[in-house]
Amino acid sequence: MTTTDVQKSVEAPVQKSKVKRRKFDPWGAVAWIVGLGFFFPVFWMVLTAFKHEVDAYTTTPKFFFVPTLDEFKAVFDQGVGTALLNSLFATTVSTILVLALGVPAAFALSLRPVRKTQDALFFFMSTKMLPVVAAIIPLYVIVSNIGLLDNIWALIILYTSMNLPIAVWMMRSFFLEVPGELLEAASLDGASTWRAVREVILPLVSPGIAATALICVIFAWNEFFFAVNLTAVQAQTMPVFLVGFIAGEGLYWAKLCAAATMAALPVVLAGWVAQNKLVRGLSFGAIK
Amino acid sequence: MATITYKEASCIYEGSDKLAVDSLNLDIEDGEFVVLVGPSGSGKSTALRMLAGLEDIDEGGIEIGGKDMVGVSPKDRDIAMVFQNYALYPNKTVAENMGFALKLRGVSAAERRKKVEEAAKVLDLEQFLDRKPAKLSGGQRQRVAMGRAIVREPQVFCMDEPLSNLDAKLRVQTRTQIAALQRRLGTTTVYVTHDQVEAMTMGDRVAVLRDGKLQQFASPNELYDNPVNAFVAGFIGSPAMNLVTVPITADGVRVGDNSSLELERDQLTRLHDAGLAEVTIGIRPEQLEMADSGGIEVVVDLVEDLGSEAYVYTHAGSGIQLVARSNPRTAPKLAETVRLRKHPDGVVHLFKPDTGERIG
Amino acid sequence: MTTIERQDLTEAEHVARIKKAQDPGVSRAEGWRLRGPLLPALIFMIVVTQIPFLFTLYYSTLSWNLVRPGSRKFVGLQNYIDVVGDSTFWQVAINTVLMIVITVLVSVVLGLLLALLLDRVFLGRGVVRTLLITPFLVTPVAGALMWKTAMLDPVFGIVNWVLSPFGVHNVDWVSRFPLTSVMINLVWQWTPFMMLLILAGLQSMPKDILEAGRVDGAGAFQLFRELTLSHLRRFIELGTVLGAVYLVNTFDAVYMMTQGGPGTASANLPFYIYQRAFLGFDIGQAAAMGVIVVIFTMVIASFALRLIFKSFSGKEEAA
Repeated sequence: MTTTDVQKSVEAPVQKSKVKRRKFDPWGAVAWIVGLGFFFPVFWMVLTAFKHEVDAYTTTPKFFFVPTLDEFKAVFDQGVGTALLNSLFATTVSTILVLALGVPAAFALSLRPVRKTQDALFFFMSTKMLPVVAAIIPLYVIVSNIGLLDNIWALIILYTSMNLPIAVWMMRSFFLEVPGELLEAASLDGASTWRAVREVILPLVSPGIAATALICVIFAWNEFFFAVNLTAVQAQTMPVFLVGFIAGEGLYWAKLCAAATMAALPVVLAGWVAQNKLVRGLSFGAIK
Repeated sequence: MATITYKEASCIYEGSDKLAVDSLNLDIEDGEFVVLVGPSGSGKSTALRMLAGLEDIDEGGIEIGGKDMVGVSPKDRDIAMVFQNYALYPNKTVAENMGFALKLRGVSAAERRKKVEEAAKVLDLEQFLDRKPAKLSGGQRQRVAMGRAIVREPQVFCMDEPLSNLDAKLRVQTRTQIAALQRRLGTTTVYVTHDQVEAMTMGDRVAVLRDGKLQQFASPNELYDNPVNAFVAGFIGSPAMNLVTVPITADGVRVGDNSSLELERDQLTRLHDAGLAEVTIGIRPEQLEMADSGGIEVVVDLVEDLGSEAYVYTHAGSGIQLVARSNPRTAPKLAETVRLRKHPDGVVHLFKPDTGERIG
Repeated sequence: MTTIERQDLTEAEHVARIKKAQDPGVSRAEGWRLRGPLLPALIFMIVVTQIPFLFTLYYSTLSWNLVRPGSRKFVGLQNYIDVVGDSTFWQVAINTVLMIVITVLVSVVLGLLLALLLDRVFLGRGVVRTLLITPFLVTPVAGALMWKTAMLDPVFGIVNWVLSPFGVHNVDWVSRFPLTSVMINLVWQWTPFMMLLILAGLQSMPKDILEAGRVDGAGAFQLFRELTLSHLRRFIELGTVLGAVYLVNTFDAVYMMTQGGPGTASANLPFYIYQRAFLGFDIGQAAAMGVIVVIFTMVIASFALRLIFKSFSGKEEAA
């Protein structure tokens, strides 16, 4: 047998096994159906936003129609711009504050654990458990006395306090994943703690911090209770605008859907794009 | 001048009631390669970390180059450490990993590059300088960890089981490289391992630790020939020294049911002075040989044939197990009854049965 | 450096001597340096959350109605007595408990089923996951709005349209089943959260345990019951606790869908308190209700917190 024959007989089997037929998984179809079902309300909302009013309010739902941007224009005419800007501002600034306060706190809590760590963590989490309703009255009184009623900064402070516990807990779990030896190595190399954290630890934790920031953005943007009670016209955020819109335009569904779409879509898109980070954050780093 | 002195150094972990390191005294000379060896929990890593400043010195002190290190933070000690899991900075390239300490000291980029390249050449890492640790194999990462230490030209090298994550063959190879490197650089090195083979082959002197206490600090040969207690005797040497507790007879000891081993005159005298009825004797497997007559009668349990030599596991009556080295071609078979005799040059070590202390 | 005389101490005595010599001042300073970064966040939280609550406690002891200025006076625990005697309060409390328990139960079960579905590999798995997490991302008021109008409306709602072949016509879900309608919206919103958590649990399970089970002869259902479920328990517990905590504060859905109505049939505690305070202007009673809710929540929450810490610190130590 010549060498070429040997080679051929060795190569041939490898080629064949590469093509494997993927079996059709019936459960996959079930998953698709359920997924589409869950998504349907949102789909319908966005779809209806593009309809003329007459197409939106029909006994039998209309899936095919002539799309229009008129309803969106109408929403803009009603002054959605301010609300959008307010929401953007409140969300961004409160998230930045949460990170500024939370990252050092999470870092301190992730170092050598001591009973005081547990207590501090316990305290942070317990603030989350307090029903906000219990505090809304004095908050209203305090906020109006300080003169921050209908001021976006009141919301910023409250959103920061709302998101800080979850943020600290999430980021702590990410900090804990970094092996302690890295800090020791940096310390031996001559770095002060701050320098070591900046150059070594933060780059490693940054995906976790991004995930946490995303969660904070979601909760802050969608927040309604504080916003509706503590703002009126100037500091209105999107959810409040939407509710006010309904009072005035209750029977105009296409317009309502347009407003709802504008209120919901930014965060939905952000969540879709950064989906992996979101999943990581929600599962506290358990899914990589 | 980088001598290292441990003076009655002790360390206790927060929340524990046991001393991790108990009154350790070591005098290490400049340029010496000292190995701290012992089973897990012996305190060897803790002792090393105390030197590096990563654990507090709770009592006593440690001096480097004559300067007391109590309260001195790691970054001011001019010590480089190679960690067991390498602790490479994942987000930095190999070159950046190695140059980090220099960067912190304000060394210029050009100078840093030069030093890093020098070290990379020694360790054969030049082609990896721009890679990140995730893209390196275990052996390559280990070399980077070494390179990071070398570049700093510190007073002291600390190495915490740097070879334990490598496969067996790579371990042997790297072992010789580290020893050669240290000889070339002449930097005082303290090396921790649980592997006594590493200890024996690499160290100028070896400190055997157990439960936080120093057992013996001497050259490998000294530890092999004159172990100061039964623990050291059984720890050093592979396979381990045969240690059995046997009753004393008129001119030696009785081994098994019907065999006896003769002892030297002065050994017998010392036994008599100590007033013991039993003694723990120690004989190394390589100092026991097959005999046709005389010696100890044993039954073969297992023969391990390693190609170049064979180890014969036997037992001689109740509870007495002996291992002997043999030529693989002439090794006995399972369940055979053979006789083991002490090699003419062989030494019988004597230890007190209760404390393990050396008698003779 | 201290010079130590060589004495023959027992280990315990030696340990005691060391511990006695440890300078508490030094370790305290060290402690502050390490814990320092925690302070800004801690102080911020204390100021923003605890101070208002203290005020709530104070207000709950007043009879104070904003509509009647000048009527503010101290009445001690009278508000609490009134609240406890208010039958509507208890009905609302029951509504709240029902809302939380049923929503959590249903969304955990649904989440588990969905997680099991998503754990398999199939075409377009990533897209399906994207679709499934959307309800969690949508602004709750917008979502509630959609459910109230597009889905559940008696005349134009999709649900009625889909069910019409089954003989269901023009059912006014929101009016006839107010609490259920709100719960449907909540389950829709929270199932993705449970699903993600449980999916995390499924994907973090070491596969070789399942292989060992299969070699031992276990079938799919047995594998699930004996092995998978016990591993998932931690994640399910976490989801339950976190979900319940957030659900206690549900306000958006009630406000948007039913305004608590008809009457107070679908009101939950946050909404009821809101009504009392901002629509009825009765600060004292609203505050008292708030305090009662807090006490109740704290009792449950302390069980919950211990649960989280027990199951999740174990995980961290193992990692």
